[in-house]
Formats: sequence, C-alpha cells, structure tokens
Amino acid sequence: MDVGILKTCGILILLLPAAGTVLVGALGRPVLRGRSHWPVILGVAGAVICSFVVLGQFGGVSGDEAHGDTQAVVSVYQWIATGAPETREAPAAWFNISFLFDPLTCVMLVTVTGVSLLVIIYSREYMRQHGHPERGYERFFAFLGLFVFSMCALVLSGNFLLLYLGWEAVGLCSYLLIGFYYGKPEAAAAAKKAFLVNRIGDFGFGLGILLIYLTFNTLDYQAVFGMVADRATASGAALTDGRITAIALLLFCGAVGKSAQIPLYVWLPDAMEGPSPVSALIHAATMVTAGVYMVARCGVIFTQSSLAMAVVASIGAVTALFAATIALTQHDMKRVLAYSTISQLGYMFLGLGVFAATSAIFHLFTHAFFKALLFLAAGSVMHAMGGVIDMRRFSGLRRIMPWTYRTFVIGGLALAGFPLLSGFWSKDEIIHAAMTRSPLLGAIGLLTAVMTAFYTFRMVFRAFHGAQRVPPGVHAHEAGKWILVPLCLLAVGAIGAGYVNVHIRGGGFLGFLEPGAAFESFLHPAVAPFASASHHASSEHGGGHMLMYLSGLLAVAGIGVAWWVYVRRPDLAGGLARMSPQAYDLSYNKYYVDEMYDAGVVKPLRGSGKLAFGIDEYVIDGLIWLVTAVPRLLAFGLKGLQSGSLQGYAVTMAAGFAIILLLVLWM
Amino acid sequence: MNEWILTFVIFSPVVGVVVLLLSNGSRPAQIRGTAFAFSLLTALLALVAAVMYYQSDGSASGGFALEQSVEWLPASLGGQRNIDVRYHVGVDGISLWLLLLTAFLGPLAIWASFTDIAERVKEYYALMLLLQAGMLGVFCAMDLLLFYVFFEFTLVPLYFLIGIWGGPEKRRAANKFFIYTLAGSVLTFAGVLFIAYFAYARSGTFTMDINTLTAMAHDSPVPRGVQWWLFLAFAAGFSIKVPLFPVHTWLPLAHTEAPTAGSVILAGILLKLGTYGFFRISLPMLPDGTIAFAPFMATLAVIGIIYGSLAAWVQRDIKKLVAYSSVAHLGFCMLGMFSLKMAGLSGSVMYMLNHGLSTGALFLVVGMVYERYHTRDIKAIGGLARPMPWLAFFLILFTLSSVGLPGLNGFVGEFMVLLGAATSQSTADGLPPGPLGYAYVIPAALGIILGAVYMFWMCQCVLFGPLKEPAHTPDMSRGLTRDLTLREIGILAPIAAACVIIGVWPKPVLKTLDSSIRANIAANYRDETVPDSGVETRWTEAVPESHRLDLFTDGSQADG
Repeated sequence: MDVGILKTCGILILLLPAAGTVLVGALGRPVLRGRSHWPVILGVAGAVICSFVVLGQFGGVSGDEAHGDTQAVVSVYQWIATGAPETREAPAAWFNISFLFDPLTCVMLVTVTGVSLLVIIYSREYMRQHGHPERGYERFFAFLGLFVFSMCALVLSGNFLLLYLGWEAVGLCSYLLIGFYYGKPEAAAAAKKAFLVNRIGDFGFGLGILLIYLTFNTLDYQAVFGMVADRATASGAALTDGRITAIALLLFCGAVGKSAQIPLYVWLPDAMEGPSPVSALIHAATMVTAGVYMVARCGVIFTQSSLAMAVVASIGAVTALFAATIALTQHDMKRVLAYSTISQLGYMFLGLGVFAATSAIFHLFTHAFFKALLFLAAGSVMHAMGGVIDMRRFSGLRRIMPWTYRTFVIGGLALAGFPLLSGFWSKDEIIHAAMTRSPLLGAIGLLTAVMTAFYTFRMVFRAFHGAQRVPPGVHAHEAGKWILVPLCLLAVGAIGAGYVNVHIRGGGFLGFLEPGAAFESFLHPAVAPFASASHHASSEHGGGHMLMYLSGLLAVAGIGVAWWVYVRRPDLAGGLARMSPQAYDLSYNKYYVDEMYDAGVVKPLRGSGKLAFGIDEYVIDGLIWLVTAVPRLLAFGLKGLQSGSLQGYAVTMAAGFAIILLLVLWM
Repeated sequence: MNEWILTFVIFSPVVGVVVLLLSNGSRPAQIRGTAFAFSLLTALLALVAAVMYYQSDGSASGGFALEQSVEWLPASLGGQRNIDVRYHVGVDGISLWLLLLTAFLGPLAIWASFTDIAERVKEYYALMLLLQAGMLGVFCAMDLLLFYVFFEFTLVPLYFLIGIWGGPEKRRAANKFFIYTLAGSVLTFAGVLFIAYFAYARSGTFTMDINTLTAMAHDSPVPRGVQWWLFLAFAAGFSIKVPLFPVHTWLPLAHTEAPTAGSVILAGILLKLGTYGFFRISLPMLPDGTIAFAPFMATLAVIGIIYGSLAAWVQRDIKKLVAYSSVAHLGFCMLGMFSLKMAGLSGSVMYMLNHGLSTGALFLVVGMVYERYHTRDIKAIGGLARPMPWLAFFLILFTLSSVGLPGLNGFVGEFMVLLGAATSQSTADGLPPGPLGYAYVIPAALGIILGAVYMFWMCQCVLFGPLKEPAHTPDMSRGLTRDLTLREIGILAPIAAACVIIGVWPKPVLKTLDSSIRANIAANYRDETVPDSGVETRWTEAVPESHRLDLFTDGSQADG
C-alpha cells in the first residue's frame, strides 16, 4: 500500500468531478450546450479509475490482518482552527482536510463513482426531448458533478468535520436536483422539504460531533475511535456509558434524516419530483446510504452502547415494515420505488443494529445496483410516456419497450429477493443475523420480504402486462442506446453483484453455494468492532440453510400473489381495497404523517413566529414608547406654562421666590 | 509611511467628500465616478495597510502595528498635564480584518447605488463617503475618546441616508434609529469617562488609551463591583448596536427603510461596531465583569437566535426577513464571544466578517430585485429563477453562506462559535474555564434549523414556482436588463468569491485572529480572579483619596 498513491487518488477523486462541474458551469451555457455532459462524464470516469486504483492498493492486503495496515490516513491541508495552541501537545490545533482509506472506503468509492458514471451516461439521453437538450441541461450535469464531489468527500473523509461537509453538501445537491424543475411548485416545495428535514437530522448530528469534540478533544476518526475503544476521554476520566450512548444516538439522528428512516423519512417520497436519474443516483443508490455508511464507520462508538444498537435495529426494522405497507398502495411507480428504498434502508439499519455490519454494507452494495436499475428503467418508462409515471394511465408496455421491461424485471427480481439474484444474498444475510439476535426482528424482516416481492411485481404486472395502453397523445417508443447500455450494465450487476460474497462449497444453498466470501473478509477489518462485539462472530449459517429456502419461497410467493391479483384476476385488486377501506386509505394516504407534522410542528412554529413579531411590535416597542412618553408628557404639561404672557412669568417668579424664601427661613 | 497609512485610509474618503463638494460638475455620472474612485482608493490603501501589517512585527506577536499617536486634547487637572487624550490609531489582527471588510464593502455599496439613486446625487455620495470614513475610524481608533467620536459620528451620515433616500416610512425609521442608538451610547460614554477616571486614579494620568487600559486590566484591575457597572454601561451602547435581544427593535425598521446601500453598510459593518466594541473594550478591560455577565449575555444571545429566526419566518417583506436574520446571526456572534474560549472568540470575529459578506450581499440582491419590481413583498413576486438565472445563482449562494453550509464562509464562524460554547468549560486552549457550556449549544443549534427554514422559504417563494411579477414590471427604465447587468454581477461576484475562499481556506484569517486574540484579549483572562471587593463597592472607595477629582471640593465636601 502506497500512501502517496492513495493521497493523489483521493485528491483526484474529489477534484476531477469538481473540475467537470466548474467547466460546465463556466462554459455550459455559452459554449458547450448540448455537449455539456462530456466534462462531467470524463471527470467522473477519472474518479472511477482512481477508485479502482485505491481498491487495487487494498487488494493485496485484503483479509490479511497480519500486515496490520488495512487503514491509511492522509492529511491534505489545515482547514479550521480548534483554538488550541499549536505548540502544545494537543491532538491537533487544526481540523484538517484529511482522508481515511480502508476497505469500507474502497467499497463505498467504487459503488458511488461506478453507479454515478452509469447514471450520468444515462442522463445524456434522458435529459433530452426528441434529441434536443432540455432546458437547464448544463445545470443538471454541473449539479451531478458537484454531487459526486460531495459524496466522495463524505466517503473519503478522515474526520467528523469533513464528513459533516460532505454530509451537508450532498444534501445541497439533493436540494438543487429535486428542485431541478423549479417552475413546478411541487418540485420547489419538495426540494425545500428535503433540505429542512435533513437539517433536523443534522441538528442531532452536529450536536453529536460537538459532543465528540467535547469528550475527546479531537475529531479525527483514528484518535476518537482509539479513545472510545480504550474507554478513555481527553480529560483522563473514564468514558461513561451515558456519554457514549448520547454520542451514538445524536449521530444516529443524522443518519435517520439522511437515510430517510422513521420519523424523518417524509422527504424521500416527495423527492421523486426530481428527474429520474437523480432519484436513481441520489435517492436510491448513494446519498441515502450515507447514514448506513456513517453508522458502519462509527461502529466502535455504536457497538459500545447496547441501547444505541437496539435503537438502530428497531428503527430499521420498523421502517422496513412501515414503508413496505405504504408501497403496497401507491400508484406512482417512482413513489413505490421510493418507499421501497426507505424499506430497504431499514433493512440495512436492521443489519447494523444486529451487529451484521458486513451484511448491511453488502446489502448497500447490491441495492445500489438493482435500485438504480429500477429507477432508471422507471425513468425510461416515464421518458416514453411523456412524463407520466402513474400506473393507472398506462399498461402492457412490455411489447413497446422490451429492453426496459427485461431490465426492470431483473431489477424487480433482485429487489424481491428472488433466489440467486444479488438482493437475495444480501437480504438473506441480514434476516439471518436478525433472526439469531431476536426472532421478532427476524420475523419482521421476513414479513417485509413478502410485501417487497408483492409490491414490486404489482408494479411489473400493472405497468408492463395486461392490455397495451398509453396516455393519449403519446408516441411510446423504446429508449435509445445511451439509456439501454447503462440499464443492461446495471442489470448484470443486479444479477451478479451478490456473488462477490458467495463461494462454492459442498453443502451450501442448493448444495453448492455458501454465503460469506471475499467481500466479507475484505471488509472485515473496517467493521471489526461489530464482529468482536457480537457474540457470534461470523455469518456462518450454522443452523443449515433453512432460512434461505424460506425467504426464497416467500419471495416467490409474493410474486405469485401479485401475479394472481393483477394478471390472473385483475378484478381482485379493487376488491382487496374495498374489503378493508380504512386500512387501504391509511396506507394510500401514507398514514397522514405529513399532515400530522404540519399540524404538530410547522403551524405552532409559525404561530410562535407571529407571536415573536407581535412582541416586537407591541410589547418591546410599547415599552420604549412609554419611556419616551415621559419627557413628552412633561413637555406637554409644561407647555402651558410657556404662554408668552409677561404677567404670568412675573407672578410665577414672585411665587417661586416667596417659596424659596420661606424654605430658607424655616430650615 | 507606516505610521501614516491608517490616517490615509481613514481620511481618503473625506478627501473624496471635499473633492465632490468643491467640483461644480452636476452630472450624476461624474459624481458617481468620483465617489466610486475615492472608495476604490480607500480600498487600495487598506490593502496596502494589510500588507504593511503583515510585514510588521505586530503580525508575528499579534500585537498592534502601524500605530500613529498624536496629542489631541492635552489638558491639565490641578496644574499638571495629566489629561492625555490622543489621536492614536493602529490595528491588530482583529481590527485589520474588519477594516478590510469595511474597505471591501464600501466601493461595492457605492457601485450598487448607481441606478438606485437619482436625486440629490452629490449629497448622497458625500454622505456615503463620510460614513465610510467614520467606520474605518472606529476600527483603527486606539483611544477611547477617538473610538467614541467615530462611533457616534457614523450615526450622522446614516441618519440622513435613511431619512432622505429611504422608503415610505423613512422619517420614523431615521428618528427611531438615531435616538435608540444614541440613548444607549450616552451610557457608553459615561463608561468611557469612568474607566478613564480609574486610570487617573491608578496612574495619575487621565488616559483613554486602549493599550494602557487593557494593560491596566491585567496589572491592576478595576475592582470587581466596579467592573460590573462599567460592563453594563458599555453593554448599554454596544448591545443596541449589535443588536442584542430585546433592544433590537430599531433594526428591522431601519433596515427596511434604508436605501439598498444603506442596508448593506448597516448590516455589513455598522452592526459590527457593537460587537467590535465588546471585543475591544469590554472583554479586555473588564474581564471579571465579562465573566460575571457572560451567562446573561449568552442567554440573551440564544434567545435572540431563536426569536429572530422565528420572527424572520413570518415576514412578507424580504428586507425585513433579512433584517431579522441579522438579529439571529448576531446572536451567534455574541454567543461565541462570551464563551471566552479561543475557538469561540475567533469564531465570533469570523462570524462578523462572514455576516458582513453574506448579509451585505443578500441586501444587495434584494435591492436588485426591488429596483426591477418596486416591491419587496414575497408574495407579489415568484419564479424569478427562470428569467433571472444569475440572480438565482447569487441568491442561492448567499443563502447557503448565510445558513452555514460547510465549504462556504458562514460555516467556519458558526462551527467555531458552537465549538467554543460547547467546550467553554474545558481548558484545552490554554485559557481558564469559561462561563458557558454545552447547554447553550442546543438552542443555538435549533436556531440553525430555523435559519434554513426561513431562508429556504424565501428562496422558494421568490425564485421558484410559476413566474409572478407585479403589473408593469420589470422596470428597466434605468438601464437595467431583465437579468442582472454586468455591473450588478461585478458587484456580487467579488463577494461570492470571498465567501468561497474563506469557506475553503480560512487559515490566513484564523491564524491572524488567533495570535491577536491571544495577545490582546485572552491575556487578560487568568486563572486567578480579582479579589472580590463585593458588589457593594462604591467607586469612591476604590480610588485613593489623593487622586479623587476635586470637582466639588468647594461645595459638597464642606458639609461632610
């Protein structure tokens, strides 16, 4: 491992996409116009290459803990002062721009840059109408470049402050891209909502970072994690359980916001107002997984607190189930996928919470492929339908768009957890870990898996099967190669990505496939705290592979039910809804959570704003008016005395003189 | 040259005023050009001063440099020449950056007035230059009387700027602004005289020299009980200027009614005179008073953060919204300052600079909208991003800077302020434990959420959604174009560049601040405190008999 190469790559991974953005920003409108995608594609492609170079640096030492250096920290420059005197033996007088490289970084970098590149290539065609660049074409690519920069900064960061920078910057890109069609009031509102809800999470996240600094007097990962592992603090006192739990929970607030978990998930469905490539990249494959990444990264902190782990696991499980129930009834394909993303992120947190960090990251990795694929394929449908994505308005598209159909089905099978596809392997590992930890959590995982299969194929059958029907005035067509090539590449990933963590062994699943392989041993050093804190160190499927057969069966069952309801007996679908109207309404209206937030938070706050302004206008200014009224009143009273008549003055003078005289004489 | 440079900086705008008034040309273009040229000259001289400061010894130690000291009001009490009021100017790392901010915003504010001001042009630019001179003077003054003179002098030009070129309620706004701030600073002046009197009591010289008084606080401090009263006296004037909750109510009106350039200067620099006053006078000269009142001041600051943000959110007038945001932002500034930690103190100055840049820029942007649409009602305009992409770019950038997005300038100050407040009790920075704690950070961090709420709400209303314009607009009669003109881009671009540079690479600023704060402020905070002579300490008891002023010897002391 060569630290010099790592440093160069780290800087290039950040600078190349950023340079693309600057170039498009400066030249896009006047010069490049329809070619504005090139600087960003090239910049991100460079970042992909650098990411693989970084991966290559770690390839040699993977799993070989004897070398001991599965981690490298490089510092680039000094950023913000801590206020500590530099001469002292303080940990650091500056917060640095520094990178931490380890297997987790590598996995994230490759995932992020790889999927980004495919999505950006896809956007080349998607962001055009009849071959002409859409309005704001260059802006779109500039923002995408900025996003890749921010996300890589988040992943590369070697300290909490740079993490926070990336964290906020991806939120900004999300804001800008959700609001890409800013002329639409819904898009503008959704963008704002996304940013603000994330800020609520970041409130906790920021407080957590400050508490870390207060406790450890540094924000560098290595130093902090080292001290946590030793249960030490900067002041020399022992680290208390309360403090570490507080830090973990505050950090988790940020993850809840960014990764759209209960109760802060409300922004993600609305975020679908953004263009489909944005939904695929930011709101499915990469940005929303930042919370999962952060918890995995801070494993040392989280695993020290059983309460925090329990919270992570239960929020994950509840979100997985809750979001799946909403996805059952939505008509907008992208919204179904959005709730499905929330649900899958719930799985990842469930995995983290039951100490199966490798499985969680593995699911993050496979999910990036199949969910990006589903969003992009849905985008392809939307492109062909002239911007319509409501499943009530089209059906039977499989003959018009055969390739989109095929890739969508592959993505759907992977999401549903159909045996042998990527989603199957990763989801099963999480359910397995949850089951060993707590049967209840495992059961929730399985229940969610059935629903996932059902709603995914409800979408497949409604959109692509049945009578061929398109919205009026739309000339439906299959997409061109710029869209189809990324779709096919992602489809290959959706099928095969799971096999990085499967090896062939007699007696495994179906007699020869055994989960837990290269991926797990590669990642292990980075998430070691989870494994060592957990009592069952590896995801060895000790109890046979019953669970794998069961979850495979459930996936097939869910698909089967969807087929029965939407293809075989289409009349059943409405009947189901009519059977339990309350439940259906509750799910269709997303449990009225948005309305509750509006009535419980937004309105009272605005009310207090009005109150504050009223206090300003009337109370404070009223008091000041009273103060100024004193001299005014005096003046008013004394005004009468200054009448201008000489006799009056003379009388007053005489009277005054008399009074003084009396006083002097008597005293 | 070294000792003259600050005088040149301060008085170059005054020369501009003289030139303006003497020239008999009345073409607006010529007047504007002259004023702009002189403000640029001032900026250039300030830049020269900055370079000189970095080459001087002062920059290494953090002390003052480029000093010039001339006898100003020599007088005597009881026969000796013991009243020593001087024209004494100089800068350290703290004031240098504020000086640069002033010199930087000045020309931009003047440039921004080119299309805005059509009547009484000559007077307008003369007043702008005078205002500039006054503010530069405050940041350079090293004598309290000189400080006070400049401090008060800034009121005069601004009073006329608001009162003549302001909006519909300009009279009321100008009067309220003037009397409100004057009322506070009268108490400040009493404080100035009082502390000078204490110096007289200690050393026999009635001095108002900031260096001497700062050193006095270190060597033979004023008794604690007296420090309390002095702190309150100074705080009366400075808090109103800042403005600190609950004495902020002059600000929304003044900001709203002032012409664009007036708002820019008011928000960008004049508010910093208050915080700078705390920094230069209260903190170093009255360490015990500061420690005693820090929790109180910080509580007011935190209330101001929440209160200002909430009030900003319900405004329909964009300018008022930005004005209330200043109340919230200056709350952060005060919070960091009273954490009395290096991070908080540096962060506070950083916050002053960043607020000057981002809020100044926001007022410029709002002014550009107003010039086109003649309304500042958020509900009357909408969807401007489509016809005005440049405006949208700048408004979003400065909004992000204002809400403290990491990577832009606002974050650096905000984070350091919160860090200082959170770690106030720790001693890792070499200073004794401060008076605040983590509890202050929680409401302040809530304020950050609210900050995003109202700023993004404003952006959404103004920039996004379907296009909405009042009838017969945009008004392009004064040579404006639909989107920003090159001149307007030229005004905003330097500020935008400064925002990005400070956000990414704040080290040059922070390094200078660090050494100066250590040398000139933190040095007065030691572990041992002044012996407590009790709140009841009467000021007369603290002064030796021999040094009491004999103003009333003939009369009142006779009946004792």
